[in-house]
Amino acid sequence: VVLVSRPVRRLHINLMDSPTLRLGFVLGVCLIQWACIEQTPSGSLVFAGSAVGREGEILRRQLATFEAGHPDLHVEIRSVPDAADQQHQLYVQWLNAHAPEPDVLQLDVIATPEFAAAGWILPLDNFHPATTEFFPATIEANRWKGSLFALPWFVDVGMLYWRTDLLDAAPSTFDEFSTAVSRAQREHGLPFGFVWSGARYEGLVTVFLEYLHGFGGRFLNAAGHVAVDSDAGIRALTALRDSVHRDRTSPPDVLAWQEEQTRFAFQSGRAVAMRNWPYAYPLLADPATSRVAGRFAVGLMPHAAAGTSIATLGGQQLAINARSRHPEAAYVLVEHLTSPEQMLERARIAGEYPARPALYDRKALAALGAPPDQIRRIIEHAVPRPVTPVYAELSELLQVHLHRALTRQQEPAAALHNASGEMNDLLVRTGLLAP
Amino acid sequence: MTSVTPTTGAATSIDVQDTRLAHRLLLPALGVIAAVVGFPLVWMVWESLHLHDLRMPWLGRPFVGLANYREAIADPRFRSAMAHTVGFVAISVTIELVVGLFLALVMHHARRGRSALRVLVLLPWAIPTAASALVWRFLFDSQAGLVNAALVAADVLHTPRVWLVDPTLAWIPIIGADVWKTTPFVALLLLAGLQNIDDSLYDAARIDGAPPLREFIEITLPLLRPAIVVALAFRVLDAFRVFDLIYVLTGGGPGTATESVSLYTFSTLLQKLRFGYASALSVIVFAAMFGLGLIYIRLAGRHLLRIEP
Repeated sequence: VVLVSRPVRRLHINLMDSPTLRLGFVLGVCLIQWACIEQTPSGSLVFAGSAVGREGEILRRQLATFEAGHPDLHVEIRSVPDAADQQHQLYVQWLNAHAPEPDVLQLDVIATPEFAAAGWILPLDNFHPATTEFFPATIEANRWKGSLFALPWFVDVGMLYWRTDLLDAAPSTFDEFSTAVSRAQREHGLPFGFVWSGARYEGLVTVFLEYLHGFGGRFLNAAGHVAVDSDAGIRALTALRDSVHRDRTSPPDVLAWQEEQTRFAFQSGRAVAMRNWPYAYPLLADPATSRVAGRFAVGLMPHAAAGTSIATLGGQQLAINARSRHPEAAYVLVEHLTSPEQMLERARIAGEYPARPALYDRKALAALGAPPDQIRRIIEHAVPRPVTPVYAELSELLQVHLHRALTRQQEPAAALHNASGEMNDLLVRTGLLAP
Repeated sequence: MTSVTPTTGAATSIDVQDTRLAHRLLLPALGVIAAVVGFPLVWMVWESLHLHDLRMPWLGRPFVGLANYREAIADPRFRSAMAHTVGFVAISVTIELVVGLFLALVMHHARRGRSALRVLVLLPWAIPTAASALVWRFLFDSQAGLVNAALVAADVLHTPRVWLVDPTLAWIPIIGADVWKTTPFVALLLLAGLQNIDDSLYDAARIDGAPPLREFIEITLPLLRPAIVVALAFRVLDAFRVFDLIYVLTGGGPGTATESVSLYTFSTLLQKLRFGYASALSVIVFAAMFGLGLIYIRLAGRHLLRIEP
């Protein structure tokens, strides 16, 4: 030790004799220290997701159990806005700048193909996730070019809420539904029949998708072209428009409503039926704030003879940043958060629906409020929105034309024709469709 | 211009030196303008010549020449947004000028409670636009809105209207909110103009037996011209950028029936993340405003210079 240390000390002294070198030495030490501070220690992960309210509570709890099981790993939460638009914008900024953090991201289901095509998130195939244990639709929504890019964390589905004291049963066809709602509205003197979110935003497209499939139509045809201007599509949009302007079961107000306004209308007992997401269930079931507590049920949206009932798939996924410094550790975290126990825990505390069908047999899911077998049936009918990296752009174009038709600025056929044209042009322009 | 005829050679050289110094003293200010106005502008023009979709990195970032501009000119949504904006500016600024002039005259001639009146008139202007837009949305809400309640109670309407999803009626709350909020600003500028008019002119007119309307047309309006020119310039440029009001009230809907140019550029840039195309839209709007400003200064500014001593 002595032999080695001596020449080092001499070198040190020599270096310190020159002021320039001394400065350089000091700067070098500073730089090394700075680099050490900047680089997170191995085994430290950053998780980006919603972390307020109950979601924050369950997330902190889940990360605590994860750290207890993996003492060498530490997870830091980076809270992001709940609003999908703002969350998306933030992610794009980070990932586009090739930031190595966050390691794990909570993604809205429509963002997976976009981020996958951009090369921003990691394919998970090498980790061999047990994809068959999840609802097939939730896996399908997370695939891009044959690879899986995210694992479903929890499921959201569009469903029909109806008043059990005003209707005998949930009508299964659109015609029966319209007649029954209209009659109940008249007999009981309610201001509204069927309320849904018809403002010009993503929610409108999710409702339209349920009508489209209900009439036997598809968003994309087998060749990958947008096909919403099919006969089924025109009938679907006409039915929605008629509910407002001809049958008057839906008030024109719905054309400015998002989820919350429809919930208020239904919760205050002013509507016969409502199309909404699962989050509304516990709020409607609370007798302290709801006038319909104990007097409503959920089911699938209706369909026409030519089509099938579907539920638009929503929900959140977990993906791994392609530039993460610790992809293996990140996957261990994703595996933990999507494990059966953690999904049950999340359902219990935050009321969010597990993405694993096997869990719906458990008594533990009673906390969800709605009967678990009914929820599973709805999720089994779930259909993802088109799995394409430009979905958000397609939706934005469609929203404008749907809303024009619904506010009678355009006929449904013309609106859908224009919408399809613009959407197909976009697919061609972005190289996703051959001209 | 204060051009003094030089009498001696020494004075000329001092003038030259002064001018040089003046130019040098201007440099920092010019530098700041170049940094905060010139640089972003040049960058925006450069960006507008590229295809740059943040959401589609696989397309790369190629130079596309004027393709974005060609797309903008052919884009029906951009053209209708332009038309909406021009219509909005024309209608709301006209109303604001007329009502603002009326308010200014009232404030100018009020004998009692002048300061209280001024505070009251100015109040709407002090409220943030987004907040006042929320109030107007509430007023025009189809279910709980006061406007519907009042119109139904007064038997003007049988059933409540859904103002914000009607392509034509939706403009009423938008223009109403803008007029309500910015008329005080116009009134304030015009009031300052009114107070600059020499009272002896009115005294002379009264001695000559001119009726009040003639006084207004022959004295007030011509002498108020500089103030009107300034108020008009401010309001037109400001109204052209209308964004927050429409964003909160209708979001540009129904469909895109109330979408303004700023709103469309915003959604192109920050929601669709199409940087190249959005830059082209911004350049077009900038060029239009710049051209409008030049023409305006040519036409109105000439009078302005002639009147002022």
